[in-house]
Amino acid sequence: MELTINGQRYTVADEPARPLLYVLRDELGLTGTKFGCGAGICGACTVHVNGQATRSCQTMIATLAGAQITTIEGLADGERLHPVQQAFLELQVPQCGWCMSGQMMTAAALLAANPTPTHEEMIAAMRYNYCRCGTYARIGRAVMRAAELMKERAG
Amino acid sequence: MKQDTSPKRWRMTRRGFLIGMGLAGGGLALGAIFGLPAARLALADMFADVINIPSNMPREPQLWFTIQPDGRVTMTMPKVEMGQGVHTALAQIAAEELGVSWEQMQVVQSSSLGPVADGAGTSASYSVISLFPLLREMAATLREMLRTAGADQLGIAPAQTRIEQGFVVDADQPARRISFAELVAQPRNWETPTEAAPLTPPERWQIIGQPVPRLDLPAKIRGEAVYGYDARIEGMLYGAVARPPRLGAKLRRAAAGTARNRPGVVEVVIRDGFAGVVAESRLTAYAALNDLELDWELPPPFNLAELQARLAAQAGSGTVIQRQGDAAAALRGAGVIEATYQTPLAAHANLEPQAALVDVQPDRVRAWVSTQSPVQVARTIAEVIGRKPETVEVTPTYLGGGFGRKVTTTVATEAALLSAAVGRPVHVGWTRTEEFRYGYLRPPTYATFRATLTDDGRIAALVQHHVSGNVLFDLFPPPLRWLFGSDFGGWRGARLIYDIPNLEVKAQTVDLPVPTGPWRGLGLLANVFAVESFIDELAVAAGSDPLDFRLRHLPDTATGNRFRAALEAVAAMAGWYDQPPPGRARGIACSIDAGTIAAHVAEVGLVEGRLRVYRVWAAVDPGVAINPDGLAAQTEGGIMMGLSAALFEQITIADGRIEAGNFDRYPLLTIADAPEVFVQILRSGDQPFGGGEPPMGPIAAAVANALARLTGERRRQWPLV
Repeated sequence: MELTINGQRYTVADEPARPLLYVLRDELGLTGTKFGCGAGICGACTVHVNGQATRSCQTMIATLAGAQITTIEGLADGERLHPVQQAFLELQVPQCGWCMSGQMMTAAALLAANPTPTHEEMIAAMRYNYCRCGTYARIGRAVMRAAELMKERAG
Repeated sequence: MKQDTSPKRWRMTRRGFLIGMGLAGGGLALGAIFGLPAARLALADMFADVINIPSNMPREPQLWFTIQPDGRVTMTMPKVEMGQGVHTALAQIAAEELGVSWEQMQVVQSSSLGPVADGAGTSASYSVISLFPLLREMAATLREMLRTAGADQLGIAPAQTRIEQGFVVDADQPARRISFAELVAQPRNWETPTEAAPLTPPERWQIIGQPVPRLDLPAKIRGEAVYGYDARIEGMLYGAVARPPRLGAKLRRAAAGTARNRPGVVEVVIRDGFAGVVAESRLTAYAALNDLELDWELPPPFNLAELQARLAAQAGSGTVIQRQGDAAAALRGAGVIEATYQTPLAAHANLEPQAALVDVQPDRVRAWVSTQSPVQVARTIAEVIGRKPETVEVTPTYLGGGFGRKVTTTVATEAALLSAAVGRPVHVGWTRTEEFRYGYLRPPTYATFRATLTDDGRIAALVQHHVSGNVLFDLFPPPLRWLFGSDFGGWRGARLIYDIPNLEVKAQTVDLPVPTGPWRGLGLLANVFAVESFIDELAVAAGSDPLDFRLRHLPDTATGNRFRAALEAVAAMAGWYDQPPPGRARGIACSIDAGTIAAHVAEVGLVEGRLRVYRVWAAVDPGVAINPDGLAAQTEGGIMMGLSAALFEQITIADGRIEAGNFDRYPLLTIADAPEVFVQILRSGDQPFGGGEPPMGPIAAAVANALARLTGERRRQWPLV
């Protein structure tokens, strides 16, 4: 079957009962998306499916025919970082970095749907992504900063 | 992948340095031979609570820097980057003394075979402390050599030059200058300084002390950083290993069963006590584990309550780790205040589970491992598959969290066994369930306290009986266990800092049927929780403000004065003497670890009866911070991790099995429960102390003290929520 990932088409073996995460990482070499729990709890594997933040460890590839999939590797516009990436870098958010692809994909989906979230809306969107290094204070500030950057870029 | 940096020729200098010339590309390199640097011995005396300072740097040339003809300086890192920012901090120290601009610095990771293999690994907040003197000395020596060469080229005396951003500059005519890059590009007989190179005085530091951006973040932001779980090479396969149904179970007999019939299975590997599968995909390898026929010898089952009872039974036995006056005599009589504190078994919950890629070939073995101890891992692999250690190269990747859990990485041995059986590279990446159940845990602690107060509200006598499971003892040979008597990892943070005329602290270590080991800070978080909670209880009994009570008991020593400065700083930040907002209360606590002092104030309330931590203020004195933003980040993160542990986490055991198999049974702190954190970094000298663990020390106690103030009820066990 065919998958469309970051605007590119990939042909993968037609074994539909495989979660997208394993196909991305082990078959296609897109290791930016991380394995954390395999149970849809920690959020490390978050990607976009048709713009929605989605747990790739819980998403069977059979459900993805014709879908637009975006991973962390496709978040930037070439050399130009996505505002969320720019803000996470500016505020020096990551520590170990393992959860960060999932954090940034969740944040980017939030801001695409709601470019001016309140603090409460930000928390509501980000609260299902674990960070064991405990960078939460900076994550919160960076998501709000990314909203500003998006506005600046649009203006 | 790795550039060839082996010098063609090494020359010994007077000061024990080695200079390498004729590098590929024409650069200049500086290395050093060292066994146990004297600086480390001096430092050992400074940290009574940290007496494990392993140093087994090999007595081989260690290549630290190469100056490339294009002016870039490549520094090879002996320490691994697990999010603590150590690569950046070490590069800052080097850049400062080399006299190059920050933009010229780049870093590469050393493997277990060098060029700067470090047998001590990356742990115990010791990277910056231990390497600071050595790095400065080496970088300054290299700088002075370049200065001499540059002065020669400019036709002036070295004293007439200054070093500026990678240039040797004529001090009288600054337009006359020559770059390091030009100097190393020319053939030259490099002279070594006859005297010790002068170190840049702290008041002239330009890069040390600056919040420069982390070197590893651009790749992490783009998802391009490679961790152990991400390691990939051509032709690799995936492995999975059979796990016991109960802790301590031994594999009596194993057979392949129907596993080989499953499409995609390459090999079933059965050895003494080990059964694993190699397959074309990870999912196939794990699925095939169900096809194996396994016969386990099961030890008797046990549950959590039995473990806790074992600890309680040992209170009062063990070795004395602190003594002053005669506490036992002073405690005879009335008015004794008593309390017992307990902390549970806990998981590291590093979000990247154990992972390794190992390629066993006839002539050599290469491995890429998410590990804090690459040299140890290489030795273990060599031993298990019967190879010479010098043919095994372990390259540490970025770590998706370490927290002590990647000090020992058996996953690399598993991948090596599987790869040896198939002759192809094999990746093993543990599932979350394996991570929870088949590694090691933070041990439980049990600490009882008894104390009396004088009439004027001072502590007259205090006894602590501390009991912990193993932290570092499993890594020790029996004679050392006997020598130390108790596990200093277990009692890290349990010694009191206060001036108490009659004081005794006894520590006991208990073997448990659950594997336990180092967790960020070792005993620090749990033990400071107990000590600083009890100090708070004594303050209440004495009718004192908890801050005043602490200040009154600080010794009149340099360390005592550092504590005073930190406590006063955090009190000022938090507005300690002001009323908190309605329905909230504040608590205070402090600690010292790896030389660094931390003082926290936590502000808590109850939301529908549930504990909520709103704000935390932290004053941290690391001596001097190499990178203040990096230290602030470690403080913020340590506070969050400590809160998660104290508020929510505990591993439970039933029928000899760890119950948590995923985060549904072991939830972590989320952003929804994260407090606001305010950090102030203090400076008390020119020597940097530890940064990765010490700033988390007081958080659990500060929260427990705030909660007791709010409700009038003292909580002496985690989880607090």
